[in-house]
Amino acid sequence: MTASVREETGATVEQPSLGPAALRRGLSRLVAHPLFQLALLALLLLGAGQLSSGTVQIASFVLIAAIFAQSINLLTGLAGQISLGHAGFFGIGAYCSGILVKSWGFDVAAAVPVAVLLAAATGWLLSFPANRVRDVYLAMMTLGFGMVFFEIVREWNDVTGGTMGLPGVPAAALRTLTILGFRMDGLDYFRLVLLVTALVLLLMRNLTQSRIGRAFFAIHVSEVAAGSIGIPSGSTKQLAYAVSGALAGLAGALYAHLVGYLGPESFALPRSIEVLVIAIVGGLGSIAGQVLSATLFTFLPERLQVFAEWQFIAYGLILTFSLLVLPKGIGGLLFEPPRFIKPRVLRRAAGLTADPAALRPQGEAAESLVVEGVTMRFGGLVAVDGVSLRLEPGRITALVGPNGSGKSTLVNVVSGIYRPTAGKVRFGERDITGLSDHQVAAARVVRTFQDPRLVPHFTVRENLLLGAHRLLRHSGAAATLGLPGAIAEEAEHLAMAEAVLALAGLTEVADRPIDTLPYGTRRMAEVGRALLARPRVILLDEPAAGLSEKEMERLAQLIRDMKAMGLAILLIDHHMDFLAELVDEVVVLDSGRMIYHGDIAGMRRDPQVIAAYLGDEATHA
Amino acid sequence: MDDFFFSLVLAGISVGSVYALVALGLNLTFWTTKTLNFGQGSLMMLCAMLTVFLSSQGVAMALAVLGSLLVIAALGMFIERWTVRPALRSGGSTMGWVVSTLGFGIFLQGMAAKYFGSQAVAFPEVIFTAQDYVTLFGQYVSLQYLVVLAVAVVLILLLELFVRKTVWGQAVHAVSLDPELALVQGMPVRRIILGSFMLSSVLAGVAGVLIAQIGGTVDPAFGFDLVLLGFVAAVLGGMGSSLGALAGGLVVGLISKLVGGYVSTAAEHGIAFALLMLMLAVRPQGLFGRPEVSKA
Repeated sequence: MTASVREETGATVEQPSLGPAALRRGLSRLVAHPLFQLALLALLLLGAGQLSSGTVQIASFVLIAAIFAQSINLLTGLAGQISLGHAGFFGIGAYCSGILVKSWGFDVAAAVPVAVLLAAATGWLLSFPANRVRDVYLAMMTLGFGMVFFEIVREWNDVTGGTMGLPGVPAAALRTLTILGFRMDGLDYFRLVLLVTALVLLLMRNLTQSRIGRAFFAIHVSEVAAGSIGIPSGSTKQLAYAVSGALAGLAGALYAHLVGYLGPESFALPRSIEVLVIAIVGGLGSIAGQVLSATLFTFLPERLQVFAEWQFIAYGLILTFSLLVLPKGIGGLLFEPPRFIKPRVLRRAAGLTADPAALRPQGEAAESLVVEGVTMRFGGLVAVDGVSLRLEPGRITALVGPNGSGKSTLVNVVSGIYRPTAGKVRFGERDITGLSDHQVAAARVVRTFQDPRLVPHFTVRENLLLGAHRLLRHSGAAATLGLPGAIAEEAEHLAMAEAVLALAGLTEVADRPIDTLPYGTRRMAEVGRALLARPRVILLDEPAAGLSEKEMERLAQLIRDMKAMGLAILLIDHHMDFLAELVDEVVVLDSGRMIYHGDIAGMRRDPQVIAAYLGDEATHA
Repeated sequence: MDDFFFSLVLAGISVGSVYALVALGLNLTFWTTKTLNFGQGSLMMLCAMLTVFLSSQGVAMALAVLGSLLVIAALGMFIERWTVRPALRSGGSTMGWVVSTLGFGIFLQGMAAKYFGSQAVAFPEVIFTAQDYVTLFGQYVSLQYLVVLAVAVVLILLLELFVRKTVWGQAVHAVSLDPELALVQGMPVRRIILGSFMLSSVLAGVAGVLIAQIGGTVDPAFGFDLVLLGFVAAVLGGMGSSLGALAGGLVVGLISKLVGGYVSTAAEHGIAFALLMLMLAVRPQGLFGRPEVSKA
């Protein structure tokens, strides 16, 4: 069923360029096919014996560059954090493994994992200051990190050899490499690195198609939206830095035992630039693209003297214009956009059915969300002024008021984006005032936004499954290894996502990327995503804005379904007719103060409300 | 006072004022577009290299500097038009312009290495030689340092006057607060942005020539560290604050020279970058900046 929908909807969007689209589809399927992957691996393992030792060495460089590029792909492509100092992690891996083996007599098989761990720990540590800044400051900080590393390596003579470098690291190129007692020449080492690379690529693919990968994209697109469904941006970024650091460290350690000489210049800014060029040209987010790009940029300077001469100039030009000319890189040119749910999970979920009734809060006391005297002040401006209200299970409360009356600010306070200047927010017995947004979501109070904040290149289905992130209990390692438990759990939640898709009338477009769909559909998807986070209280910030008549009916039905499930619902909207048939009670805000609380009929007669909406003259007329 | 300490302080103040100049240049484009040219270092290098080249061709020194500055200003225009504007228009993340401006900087550095060679070349002594000095409070004071300090301070003051007192300066402020509002008010926003990049580049060029004068040599790689020091100065003082840029520049100059003098010259830059990371981690808005308030 999934496939047929895909065909239909795919055809409508990609019609004009069927040739390239078909080619892309074919190539993507080929590259993703396990048989092709195994055949390629076997060909390289066996065929390498026929090549000259020089070519084998270059091929080893290609593999190392591919692993290194994946580390940028993960941090920048997936998690959206720019790094201009990745040579630092590469260098940490290289020097750590090199020093451990050369000076401390470690076996390479022990030294490389230690080096990877050290690079991961450095990435994890760097994530703390990096978490405090963004954009341009992050670019500067990572640039600074790379420079500090370079200066340390250059000056720490006793350990790193300073500017003279560290010669004589046991390495394949020097024919001095033994691993676990086996002597390794260049060809053996190539085969070993090839297996490591294949493993890295496989795990990377799994990671992209797991809860971890999806969470990376969620914080990439909007940290606020990620927080609203319970994805903590802080720890998610820490993980991204640590894993990215580990990958770069692995590449560095493998490099050390390939070349045998480590000098500070190999880990300076140009190395960071080179990997950035490879990752960008490969296409951020595309794993296969990175590999092709790594091949291109490693072979070219080696084989084309002209290119070697103009290398730096070429890198500069590529960085300047690539995002303009080829924004999605080689990966975007040759392959279809990647998908973010494992095919195994999709197949398994297709065999399951979920009952949306399971979304009903079960076995829990019916608790209310209570807002007590909340005041929110921004400098001299009082956006919300001593508002108290109560959201009860199975009841819909409308929050209305003119623009700027403090409706969204109140939602922001309840959902943990702002800490109120005064007042309390309680859910049942629990005080949730001032919790961070993802903690509020974990307390099962979930909100949507005035402007739908979804992951644009995710399909509708993928966006909805993101809502269930909070509930997925399997570890990142289990997800990355694709363990059966992880697959089963994800499939279970995906089946529920299918049920919600049906409930929201989105089944037909489930396979379409969300950015190709009209506004109304995106809104419904956002509400569906919030529902999948299993809320007991849901705060809907103008969900009906910009919806057609028909879409509004659909939304009203979905809201009624949620009411029947026993959710406490807060609904912000301006359409009185839309609200009139839905809501149980109305709260009216004006200039941050609550001016009315009661049923909707009473509101229409209330003189203060009329004055707030129509101006004072209206009341005198 | 100890001679050595005094000379370090003077050197620190002198190079610090140049860092402040770089930081001001970064501030200018940050005001108008919230972007920085990550390749600013290459403009510094190129301006100094071109000056050397032109004067070696027999062009009078003053003309050589002026000619180089004109080229740099034109490059500033190019950078705005072809690296920053398309990246901003495509609406992508910060990634776009950081990468494209950095890329253009690398390109310029590569070209300079190709055509001028990657070896350091001697920078001609413009007014005074490294041996010229005056005595101040009983201390020998290098005239070069004094001239560099004077030029930097005068430029900073002029820029400050320009921004505060002239219509164009006010317009720059208007654009920094709300470019769309400025546009509907009929301000030539495009030209103001373009101008900010040209001026920013010229400041970088001047800073490059001044630093080359103190250091005595230039090589194609010489700008990268310097622009990072400019970042440090700007971040330390708070991005966008002129006073902050001056204070930040002086602090960076003093600390790096003192560390260089008493610990190791090699640690001079390392300590500044460590300062950058620390500052960003502890107080990203800088000493004089206010935290950005963003509405969700």
